[in-house]
Amino acid sequence: MLDLGSLQKQMAAALLDGRFDVLEGQVMAGPVGAAEAFGLHRNTVRYALTNALRLTFPTVDSLVGEAFFDQAALAFVAEHPPTRACLTGYGRDFPDFLACYPLAAGLPYLADVGRLDFAVEEVGGCALGRDGPVLDLGEAVMTLDASLRVLRLDAPAAAIRDALEGGDDGALAAIDLNPRPRSHALWRRPEGAAIRPLSPVSAAFLEGILAGASAEDALTAALATG
Amino acid sequence: MASHSISQLSSSDAASARSPIPAAAGIGLRLQHHAHVRRERPEAAWLEVHPENYMTPGRADELLAFADHYPLSLHAVGLSLGSACGVDADHLRRLAELERQVRPDLMSDHLSWSAAADQGGLVVLPDLLPLPYTQEALNVVTANIDHVQGVLGRRLLIENPSTYLQFSQSSLSEAEFLCALVRRTGCGVLLDLNNIHVSAMNQGIDPASALGEYLAWIPHEAIGEIHLAGHAVRDLEGGGQVRIDDHGSRVCPDVWGLYHTAVRTLGARPTLIEWDTDIPAFTVLQDEAATAQSFLDRVRTRELAHA
Repeated sequence: MLDLGSLQKQMAAALLDGRFDVLEGQVMAGPVGAAEAFGLHRNTVRYALTNALRLTFPTVDSLVGEAFFDQAALAFVAEHPPTRACLTGYGRDFPDFLACYPLAAGLPYLADVGRLDFAVEEVGGCALGRDGPVLDLGEAVMTLDASLRVLRLDAPAAAIRDALEGGDDGALAAIDLNPRPRSHALWRRPEGAAIRPLSPVSAAFLEGILAGASAEDALTAALATG
Repeated sequence: MASHSISQLSSSDAASARSPIPAAAGIGLRLQHHAHVRRERPEAAWLEVHPENYMTPGRADELLAFADHYPLSLHAVGLSLGSACGVDADHLRRLAELERQVRPDLMSDHLSWSAAADQGGLVVLPDLLPLPYTQEALNVVTANIDHVQGVLGRRLLIENPSTYLQFSQSSLSEAEFLCALVRRTGCGVLLDLNNIHVSAMNQGIDPASALGEYLAWIPHEAIGEIHLAGHAVRDLEGGGQVRIDDHGSRVCPDVWGLYHTAVRTLGARPTLIEWDTDIPAFTVLQDEAATAQSFLDRVRTRELAHA
């Protein structure tokens, strides 16, 4: 007879890899067979995790379609099962996984689309209207929103997201997919996350402010990068 | 091992409660209805939510706004009270933080597990997985409930799960197991009648007899809430059927029958309509809650007539 910890460890592994034979002998015969019963739990786990990823990465899902998304999500789940009960934040590594996922090799922009989706989800979970860093410009002092962050990408992920959200196939087809530095500011708004493009200098300046630099130091450093 | 009596924990509950959950029919609030509830404030005696969905500052603010207008219950799904590796400290800390902010009237989780030790860390599966009902498991769950109740400073209600299998090493029935938990920890019980129906049918047992066993074992004063939901019936490849606790339809007539028996035996209890898949318009949930309320009203009328 397995102790409880060993039984749970074996069950968790079996529910992830689908090999229920290791649990033979642990379950009484009943109207529902052991393999069917464990299969129901496995389906619940797989559905819950793919659905959690789908909710966090809606643009990736729209781009690749349900079947491809499920396949990629389940491959990710097998390598990165959750380690926390709260699934908020689950999938942080999904964009990096997509960047190396062989079946997505023809979609080099997909990982950046995922990075934007994840950032939007994170910002959406921030409190609304909380004060963050102070931008002291001498004659003017501004308090920035605590949720404000800078996201640097190479792919036109924001344009792709806008086109898909608007159902605008023409705009989607016209997007320049060539990689080049693209920076964005994101912050929490009542309806979710606001996304605005930033010039390279603006992005560097804002990053400096968010890192705690003075306005003067942040501006000097930003101009040096430009 | 800390031990709490129900009376000690009840006084703690009273101190922390914003307003008591009425012994009336409430509704499980899901994300799909947030905007409607925020905008229209539809009629509902009380609301219940999964706290794991509100563990970010933004979501917590939303929940606080709901708490201004409705009595609230936090129905956790992530404590993994049956885990041999104990309760995840970080998850409990976040739950306690939300509890302090929201001050819910009821808090509950399940007689199940979802987290297992794995290579020095944890693997957490988003499901309510079944336990063998053994003395070892009883000691594990007792310790975990004691720990959680100690940290939260309040009583938890523990929900009977829906099951598709039974472990060969089980030496106690589920009702005996829950009764022992009540006596050891002072916890309460959240009696899920759909789960009783689903489990009994999947084990080839008469659901009415199964409910009778629960009502015989568990002290009635410990039953602090009732859950009602729908389930799916699926044909098995080798013949026969399996009931799946999908919370995706109206409460079935057999479960209403169990509810009739339960409230006649227990008296009125806070009762929740749960609906988690293929979620319909809020008015459908209100309609189900009205049906449950009609049972509660009849019980109250009967109680008044006997008084």
